[in-house]
Amino acid sequence: MGELLRVEGLSKHFGGLKAINGLDLTLEEGETLGIIGPNGAGKTTLFNVICGVLKPTAGKVVLDGEEIQGLPSYKIAHRGVARTFQISKPLKDISIVDNVVASLGIHEYTGIRSLLRNSHKRETVDKALEILERTGLLEFKDKLAREVSLGYLRRLEIARALATNPRLIMLDEPCAGLSNFAINEVIDLVMQLKSEGKSIVLIEHNLPISMKVSDRITVLNYGQKIAEGIPEDIRNNPQVIEAYLGEDDDIA
Amino acid sequence: MYLTVVSVNIGIFILLALSLNIITGYAGQPALGHAAFFGIGAYTSAILTTSYGMNFWLSIPFAFIMAGIMGGFLGLISIRMRDDFLAITSIGINFVVVAIFQYSDFFGGSLGISLKRPYFFGMKVTATGYLILIGLMILGTVLLILKMKRSWFGLALSSIRNDETAAASFGIDVNRYKVLAFTLGTAIAGMTGAVYAHHMTFIYSSDFAFIVSISILSMVVIGGIGTIRGPIFGAILLGAAPELFRFFADYRMIVYGGLLVFMMRFQSQGFLGYDSVLVRAFKKLFPGGLKKKEGEIIG
Repeated sequence: MGELLRVEGLSKHFGGLKAINGLDLTLEEGETLGIIGPNGAGKTTLFNVICGVLKPTAGKVVLDGEEIQGLPSYKIAHRGVARTFQISKPLKDISIVDNVVASLGIHEYTGIRSLLRNSHKRETVDKALEILERTGLLEFKDKLAREVSLGYLRRLEIARALATNPRLIMLDEPCAGLSNFAINEVIDLVMQLKSEGKSIVLIEHNLPISMKVSDRITVLNYGQKIAEGIPEDIRNNPQVIEAYLGEDDDIA
Repeated sequence: MYLTVVSVNIGIFILLALSLNIITGYAGQPALGHAAFFGIGAYTSAILTTSYGMNFWLSIPFAFIMAGIMGGFLGLISIRMRDDFLAITSIGINFVVVAIFQYSDFFGGSLGISLKRPYFFGMKVTATGYLILIGLMILGTVLLILKMKRSWFGLALSSIRNDETAAASFGIDVNRYKVLAFTLGTAIAGMTGAVYAHHMTFIYSSDFAFIVSISILSMVVIGGIGTIRGPIFGAILLGAAPELFRFFADYRMIVYGGLLVFMMRFQSQGFLGYDSVLVRAFKKLFPGGLKKKEGEIIG
């Protein structure tokens, strides 16, 4: 078990706003790191910088010993980092199964030569169906992505991330806006990935969910780390309680 | 003879609509200057055959490559732009290209370029000859698009059309594929231009004006964007109408504009798009397609 991801002195400023400000993080291979923090703490910005959607203002992102900060996001995906989006980004006008097939093709998009290679070979489609079954989407396989509800689109995000066969999965609030029933299903799915030894970074607004799933939790506020530790320590950390709920209050 | 000439013209529109559909329909990039690349192909072929004595047949691949290179440049520009700016930029490129054709002596200036009819194994190519040539080109383009739709290339374009950020998140180099879509679509338009120039035996800058771009776009949108049948149907409908109705020829732009607005409001998929009224009605009448007539009725 070595270190898979290291973030060093990372900053992302938007004009005067310091969305991330000198952040340090590490993730061990096979570990699940929870990232929590109030709205505007910089959680999604952190994901966007790690995944190459945004370029950092300063600092390093090191994946398995290699610096990846500033690379375009498709190259970071090729290096085995998959992410889901807080606001689902389905390929709306193609079917659910084709959404997953598109993601399975991660190493097939080689430019003009990809014109000659069939994307719907038997084994590719079978693999996509297998992933749909794991994520509970099999019954919707032929529906267009715009025809299914938010809960299923959240699962589609996870299905698509899995399809890239990643070393690191970054989940951005996979439970937001879901019913309790759907939340439990997503938690089960994440627990299953954990048990398979996947390395996971999870942004989750909801403390009980994050505490249940994470091995370790980092708390962000105003783009900085205000606490880090195992879930029990975080639960009792006065700074965290203050940032989340104001002073003198209990966490449900 | 008249019918053959009209058919060649419609065939040319079919090729232009199919090629624009690669850029706008499959890759989702609004391009409003397609006629410029049609013109680049036409002028490339015309100059090579008249000024440099090149054989017509050999000039076709040159027209293909030249238009593709220029289209690739537009693709490079498009990388840094949002959709609406790309639309406006492509209009601007159309005007610039037409102005260069019109004011530069190298391109015949305001006199245009007159061409000689080419030969095919010693025989002058007739209207029927052009019809066969255009038919083969349409066949080739349709086969290419069918191949594309089944390939990773096609899936990459679909992904980009839907969501560029998502596409990049599973490894698609969005910029590269945008440039490729522009190159492929404009190259086919350039090849079509070479045939057009020699079929007409005279070209002039205004043959490739912005209005022509809008006509091509209308064909794609009215027929059904993102399908193969749609642009073919649209090109036949809008290509034949001026020949059938005098009224249509006189008020062409009003009809195109009106139809575009009407389609956007009531049938944004086009007449033959994936979920259009006509296609749904057809599916209801023949559930399971035409092949399976004995099939049970599905609600």
